[in-house]
Amino acid sequence: MKTLKSLKRRKFTDKTAHWLITCSGVATIFVILALFIFIFLEVFPLLKGAKIKKNTVFSLHQGAVCIGADEHMEIAYAIYGNGSIEFFSLIDGSVIRKHDIQELGNSHITSFDKHKNLHILGTDDGKIATLFIHFSEVFEDGKRTIVPHISLQELVRAEGADNDYEPFAIKHIASKGDEDAALTAVHTENGRLLLLSSEIETSLFGEGEKREVKKDITPLLKKSLKPISSTSGAGTDHSLPENEVVITSLVLDHFMENLYVGANSGELIHINVRDKEEPVILERIKVSDKPVTALGFLLGDISLVVGDSDGNINTWMQVRDELSSFGWSLKKIHTFQSHNGPVTAIAPSVRNKCFVTASSNGSIHLHHATSERTLLNLNINSVVTALAFSQKANGILVTDSTGKLFRWDISNPHPEVTMKTLFGKVWYEGYEKPEYVWQSTGGTDDFEPKLSLVPLIFGTIKGTIYALLFAVPIGIFGALYTSQFLHYSLKIVKPVIELMAALPSVILGFLAGLWLAPLIEKILPSLIIMPLFIVLSIATAIFVWKILPAFGKGRYKHGMEALVLIPFIVGAIFGSICLSGIFETFAFGGDYRQWLLNVTGLHYDQRNAVVVGFAMGFAVIPLIFTISEDAMSNVPKSLVSASLALGATPWQTAVKVVLPAASPAVFSAVMIGFGRAVGETMIVLMATGNTPIMDWNLFNGFRALAANIAVEIPEAPFGGTLYRVLFLASLILFVTTFIVNTLAEVIRQKMKKKYSKL
Amino acid sequence: MKNFFKSGNPYVWLTASALTICLLMICGLVMLIMIKGLGMFWPHKIVSICLKDNVVVLGELVKRESVPYEEDAYRSKLKVGNRDVYGLDFKWINDDDIASMDYPLSAITIERREWGNMYGFLEGLRKDNKTEVVGMDEARELVKESKMLYERIRHIEKKEIGDINHLIEKNRIKLRSLIMQLPSEKLQKKADRVKEKIEALEKTYSEKEALLTELYTEARKKEFIIRLADDSEKVLPVFQVVRMYTPNNMHIVSKMGFYVSKLWEYVSGEPREANTEGGIFPAIFGTVMMVFIMSIAVVPLGVLTAIYLKEYASDNFLSRIVRIAVNNLAGVPSIVFGVFGLGFFIYFIGGSVDKIFFSEALPTPTYGTGGILWASLTLALLTVPVVVVATEEALSSVPRAIREGSYALGTTKFETLWKVVLPQATPGILTGTILAMARAAGEVAPLMITGVVKLAPSLPIDHHFPFIHLERKFMHLGFHIYDVGFQSPNVEAAIPMVYTTTLVLVFTVLTLNIVAIVIRNKLRKKYKTSLV
Repeated sequence: MKTLKSLKRRKFTDKTAHWLITCSGVATIFVILALFIFIFLEVFPLLKGAKIKKNTVFSLHQGAVCIGADEHMEIAYAIYGNGSIEFFSLIDGSVIRKHDIQELGNSHITSFDKHKNLHILGTDDGKIATLFIHFSEVFEDGKRTIVPHISLQELVRAEGADNDYEPFAIKHIASKGDEDAALTAVHTENGRLLLLSSEIETSLFGEGEKREVKKDITPLLKKSLKPISSTSGAGTDHSLPENEVVITSLVLDHFMENLYVGANSGELIHINVRDKEEPVILERIKVSDKPVTALGFLLGDISLVVGDSDGNINTWMQVRDELSSFGWSLKKIHTFQSHNGPVTAIAPSVRNKCFVTASSNGSIHLHHATSERTLLNLNINSVVTALAFSQKANGILVTDSTGKLFRWDISNPHPEVTMKTLFGKVWYEGYEKPEYVWQSTGGTDDFEPKLSLVPLIFGTIKGTIYALLFAVPIGIFGALYTSQFLHYSLKIVKPVIELMAALPSVILGFLAGLWLAPLIEKILPSLIIMPLFIVLSIATAIFVWKILPAFGKGRYKHGMEALVLIPFIVGAIFGSICLSGIFETFAFGGDYRQWLLNVTGLHYDQRNAVVVGFAMGFAVIPLIFTISEDAMSNVPKSLVSASLALGATPWQTAVKVVLPAASPAVFSAVMIGFGRAVGETMIVLMATGNTPIMDWNLFNGFRALAANIAVEIPEAPFGGTLYRVLFLASLILFVTTFIVNTLAEVIRQKMKKKYSKL
Repeated sequence: MKNFFKSGNPYVWLTASALTICLLMICGLVMLIMIKGLGMFWPHKIVSICLKDNVVVLGELVKRESVPYEEDAYRSKLKVGNRDVYGLDFKWINDDDIASMDYPLSAITIERREWGNMYGFLEGLRKDNKTEVVGMDEARELVKESKMLYERIRHIEKKEIGDINHLIEKNRIKLRSLIMQLPSEKLQKKADRVKEKIEALEKTYSEKEALLTELYTEARKKEFIIRLADDSEKVLPVFQVVRMYTPNNMHIVSKMGFYVSKLWEYVSGEPREANTEGGIFPAIFGTVMMVFIMSIAVVPLGVLTAIYLKEYASDNFLSRIVRIAVNNLAGVPSIVFGVFGLGFFIYFIGGSVDKIFFSEALPTPTYGTGGILWASLTLALLTVPVVVVATEEALSSVPRAIREGSYALGTTKFETLWKVVLPQATPGILTGTILAMARAAGEVAPLMITGVVKLAPSLPIDHHFPFIHLERKFMHLGFHIYDVGFQSPNVEAAIPMVYTTTLVLVFTVLTLNIVAIVIRNKLRKKYKTSLV
């Protein structure tokens, strides 16, 4: 009975062990799968576009002129045409506070501009009111309450200085300002364009004195001025009838230097207003065949969004242009999905390069400038009167003429990432043409992230190729020699080479960056003559070996070549280093860096591709060496013997029999070496300058995918676009090495099978 | 000649040169690291150079080279120290400018706690506004005294105040978790008690701080007066001195003694001056501990996978996939493991652990940030294939006859495995483990994003409960090399330190590898004979 029990127990233990071990074996598959799936899951949200999370409609009393909301989208305000302002809850629509601007009297608001918390309102009787609206947060018992504040900062008359004119309605207004200065451009109903500036000049005694300038710049527009350039080709002459600039929109940048005037003729007039007394027209350009109806700057005030009466939306930007009289000219950068009706409002995000446009036909689009795509299409089927984009770029507010307020909560976490921005040329702000650029972070808030992976992939490939160029011949020939010719008593070199593989890459990187790079900079010319010297030294070695009396060599007749060569090659290397200076004087006229720059136009960086190629080659050689050597040693002896028996020399046997037979494994060794070089991080990080430039130049650095991840991911906020793009970079690395390794493994297995049959 | 080429001999020589270059590269590298790394602690002579314009400079000769683009001109690089006075540690001097050169016997090198080395002559001691002349021996006594004071201050700062801070932090978290719970009278009382405790602790804290200020004022009382090369005098608090010696007046035995004491400081001491001086003990400790935690994780997984592949799986689809998976784990770039560790271990698992167990400490993450546990687990994944390959080899070297003998006696498969095969394969498993350790000790890229820091405030093991702190960040030899060599503000002065750390790391990694190779070869030999 007892034995039966113990038998049962033993059987149970055996089964459990079997099950457990199989599970652990399979666990390895899970690890690889988990790696892939988890990294993919982190990348996946990049592919998702913008989404509407919630859509709510509230009703107001009438259509508002201007709307806005606090940062958290809890309280909104609406400014009505009659000068009253309402604050209301964006949760239930209830009115929280009402405010009337008494000072405006019976005037009606006809135009407005918004700048930070300032709302500059123009009225139908020529007044300009500056309204300051902001929200403060109060924390009480862990609960947040938002309190709105409103104050009228200034009320001026647009044409008050020389009271000759009847007050005219302000049709368009553009205003910018800071603590010390403010500038307002106004277009009135009688067709005049006025510039009002105020500046606080601090005198020596510290007292500020306000200086106001009013300037009528209408005559400037009336001056005959031919369009400098046009969109529809240089050949056609768009001689516009002069004096007929019908202003349809105005916009001013926050530098208070550039005023853009949109005209009925589809022209854009660029006026430099840096000198408030003497503004000058810099450029007049046809931007559309239809009247320009809306203008607006994107975050940073560099890209200008232009909307016309057909609903076309483009961004324009000042680009360096040698033909232009002042060195710059406006260029069309991006084109977006068109509304099928006149564009009436443009609202930029204060977070990123997104913006919302609305048309009078009720369509509302959300765009992202850099990625040149329209993310959302909304429609309210009524006339849009005011448009606002929330401060966190997660909501859109719209009022229509019937007094309805629409609120959309949107989720738009990664608008800047598309296939095109990752892998294509993109025309970034401040660039002369579309380019591949990686620059993930910048110093300012209005920085445009440049997330092209192309320079990084290029850098990875560049480093890998240079490393393999160095490592492949040495690895394969070394293996061939070790497996076929090396004396058996010297087989100890194999574990020595294995030790080479064990050297941490951080050490190789450190030595490459801080020892080798300065050294190579000093003795670069000698690298050019070194191969020649080494070949010569080998020839000398052969000669010396031949004339050496046979008894001196003892029983080591063959297989000692590698040892014999050591002093010769050391001599060759030292010789070439010593002659470096002389060779430099002789071939490069004394300074190779100057020569490089003058003759080939190349710059020399201390940490460059040569250094990386050498250091990474150091890491790759042992891999290629060991795998190839194994395969060459395992080529069946019968094949080698047969070849030798037929009269082939050992060299012929090695090249014509062993090498072809082992070639699949040698190939897979190269593949594995490739995989290692692609993913190498520390060497590239330390031995290159990590500049993401695309240039095959041997003497430049580069930035590789792996090093880039190591540098940037600690700083990347969790879940942000950069974080996910870096995960994408590691996914690319993972997939590349996975394919390469699997292929290499399959080839190796096939070869094993082939020889097991022999 | 034609025949000679036909024989293929020159080509054989050519391929031989490839192997020679490999060997030269590795030997050269090891020699370079040895030469550069071992020289760091040797007391260098101080040279006094009088230039032609009558300026005298004092310092250690570091390097001599020919002037670029000039014939027969040489220049020397002198470490002049006194970073607080000159701004730079090094100075280039052309041979043409030198008027005379000598090695003054009384010149001293002073290692300071801040600002690097100082070179000069000891003039005297200032105490209570009185100046007196002191000899070298007296000065050494003073330095010894101040060292004891320094150690006392360190003890108070690190141990005593550290303990108080630890307790305060613990009580704060307790208080927070009490407040987070539903309010009741009992809890309120408890909270009040904790508050009282915190106040009491804060009181002792301020007492200790007062004591510290007192000690510091005492420490600043005595000052050395040092005459610099340009005859200007500089006042140096005795407290600032770590070590002072007259290298020109030392004979070989005392130099060797000096070498050993410096080496000991290096291995056992704490880093100074942003890691560029002092010791690397925390880095050694962090590396060793990380490697051990990693081994605990990697050995079971690796060994079981190898057993599965070798003993249990037949050559089917599944086993082939497992093999491909293992090979791929070996080939996936280490940085990808780091990224995975960051996303999966730190943000996903660590974040969840924080939410469940450490919610009172949030938003400060406990496990939701890089730490030694996550770094070790990440490296464990990375080193699985190393263990698998070595174990597999060990398993296949166990002769079939032994297994069959065991089966013939009626054992089950598991019993044979457990009692017969595995004991025989133990050296092989050990080899795998050692190789995995060597790999992990040298890996840096994944650690950089999973928990290594430049300077860790405390070791992952200390006297506070629960003694082993797996969530703490740690220092690592490899990262130390990267950080000091590339991120420190004064790279040039830090380079000797980096070479020495490199030597330590290379020594560790190569020793581990050689041990593993020796064990493996013994195993191979053993079974080669047993098979016959």
